[in-house]
Amino acid sequence: MMKLSDITKVYGKGSLEVSVLHGIDLTIEDGEFVAIMGPSGSGKSTLMNIIGFLDYPSTGTYELNGEQIASAKESTLAKLRNEHVGFVFQQFFMFPRDNAIKNVASPLVYAGVSKRERTARAKDLLVKVGLGDRMKHLPNELSGGQKQRVAIARALVNNPTILLADEPTGALDSNTSEQIMKLFKQLNEEGKTVIIVTHEEEIAAYAKRIITIKDGRITDDRRVTS
Amino acid sequence: MNILESFKVALSSIWNHKVRSVLTMLGIIIGVAAVIIIVAIGQGTKKQMTDELFATDKNAIQIYYEYIPPEGEEGMFWEEPELTSEDIKTLSEVPGVKAVLATNQGWGMMVHDDEQGEMQITGVGAEFFPARDIQVVEGRALYAADNDGLNRVVLIDTIAREKFFKETENPIGEIIDLNDNPYKVVGVYESPLPEQFRNTETGEMLMPRSVISLMFGNREIEQLSVIASDPENISETGRLAADTLTAEKGLEDGKYSTNDFEDYERELNTMISLLTLLIGSIAGISLLVGGIGVMNIMLVSVTERTREIGLRKAIGATRKKILLQFLIESITLTSLGGLIGIGLAAVGSILVSKFSPITATVSPIIVLIGVSFSALIGIIFGMLPANKASKLSPIEALRYE
Repeated sequence: MMKLSDITKVYGKGSLEVSVLHGIDLTIEDGEFVAIMGPSGSGKSTLMNIIGFLDYPSTGTYELNGEQIASAKESTLAKLRNEHVGFVFQQFFMFPRDNAIKNVASPLVYAGVSKRERTARAKDLLVKVGLGDRMKHLPNELSGGQKQRVAIARALVNNPTILLADEPTGALDSNTSEQIMKLFKQLNEEGKTVIIVTHEEEIAAYAKRIITIKDGRITDDRRVTS
Repeated sequence: MNILESFKVALSSIWNHKVRSVLTMLGIIIGVAAVIIIVAIGQGTKKQMTDELFATDKNAIQIYYEYIPPEGEEGMFWEEPELTSEDIKTLSEVPGVKAVLATNQGWGMMVHDDEQGEMQITGVGAEFFPARDIQVVEGRALYAADNDGLNRVVLIDTIAREKFFKETENPIGEIIDLNDNPYKVVGVYESPLPEQFRNTETGEMLMPRSVISLMFGNREIEQLSVIASDPENISETGRLAADTLTAEKGLEDGKYSTNDFEDYERELNTMISLLTLLIGSIAGISLLVGGIGVMNIMLVSVTERTREIGLRKAIGATRKKILLQFLIESITLTSLGGLIGIGLAAVGSILVSKFSPITATVSPIIVLIGVSFSALIGIIFGMLPANKASKLSPIEALRYE
């Protein structure tokens, strides 16, 4: 479970100060499937960065699994990212010279997992996302949809608390987008907490809860019953 | 990521940019190769010059008389004190002295059957043979009794034997003519002198020094040298022997001295060190330039790989891990350059040794220094780019186009 209380984020100093988030209160329970929506400049990316420990709030508190995140130290944030967050990006972001297995296993390198176990876990997850026959392929030998599956497998490899996807279908055609979203849905049904940041209604429709952000404030928070 | 894996990753990254890596390493390669080859040649030259200096005998040191004229006098005419077997005995008891060599010289026309030729004759004692390790190939060496009894016996060297005797003929016991006086050949020996100092025309001979003194009118002891039991202390032993002799003779207007090889050696060392330092610093500058090249390419690499760095940070790499990764990459790059440079220097040394009289030797220590120095350059010049990489914000790095 994660709980954000009165989170603000201010960039710059003095007269150049820009306030991006104004007192966000947000609680996401384990196993939820949340979509964060909003137009560009609404602050949804900043919120995502804070949720994913890529950035830290100016004020406010962040509680993860009942524990307060006290320090904004770089090494602490890196450790939290490694242990609790699995990222999926719009641009996939792969290590171009590493094959699928190595790409998936990459977070485990920083977690200090042995090479044998890294390979074993990566292989399992590649089979799970339907790429059992593409394990030794390099990123440039994979289609966009396949790359995103590799990215999802990579996001899952550390068994994170939150799966955090930033416009995961932004670079994919509608058919592939549907497959990817079905994969997210399946993962959520298996118990994974999924947070997707998007501006597309169709994508948000897969989620069970839709949060809308505008001008740094949550303007809407509704649960979808399908 | 453990260190070994980091090196593997670094090597594959270098391999992926072969041309760029080689060009970057070039400065280091040339610098290291230059330093090592210059030091190798310097050491080779030093060894060669030292060898030449000590060519005649490595652990024998000559003791000679030096006349000190009294105040106000020119000192044009002076007489060297007579040395006796008693003096030799005294010298042989000086600590550190293994043997005393007392010799005199003579020249003579040798005639045997139809052959004749000018011969250089060295007058020696029995102690000469073991001390100079003279190999007697036929017959016998000289005995102490030969000197005491003024026996007119000679040993000829292998060159003289070839010239004056047929191969089938046994020279031992033969009588030869030297300046119209008969002498008996008792042995044939192998000359210990290096080829370039030998008389290859007619050869040389050894004879009791008392006989030379008697027959040629020379002093019995013309040259005096001591052999040190420890070659390392040869200069000290020589000095001690000379001082002992001076004291023994109770000299007032002269003294015995030795040639101080240490002085020559010191001078030689200074010269070579200066030269090595000079050229070494030029090579050092080349290494510095090479290091700057490495820094430049690492900075380019960091910029190129901004998104990779962002991704690594997003999946949990700490600042330290990123810093280490880039540092290891630059160390690998420069160390590899250093290794190639050493290889080049080794080949160069072999070529120098082959086509010049100098034997250039690449010592393991200089190889070790070469590798550690290039690794150090990797650390120094890799620090700035690695630090830059580690400080990138993951959000901005991922957004970088």
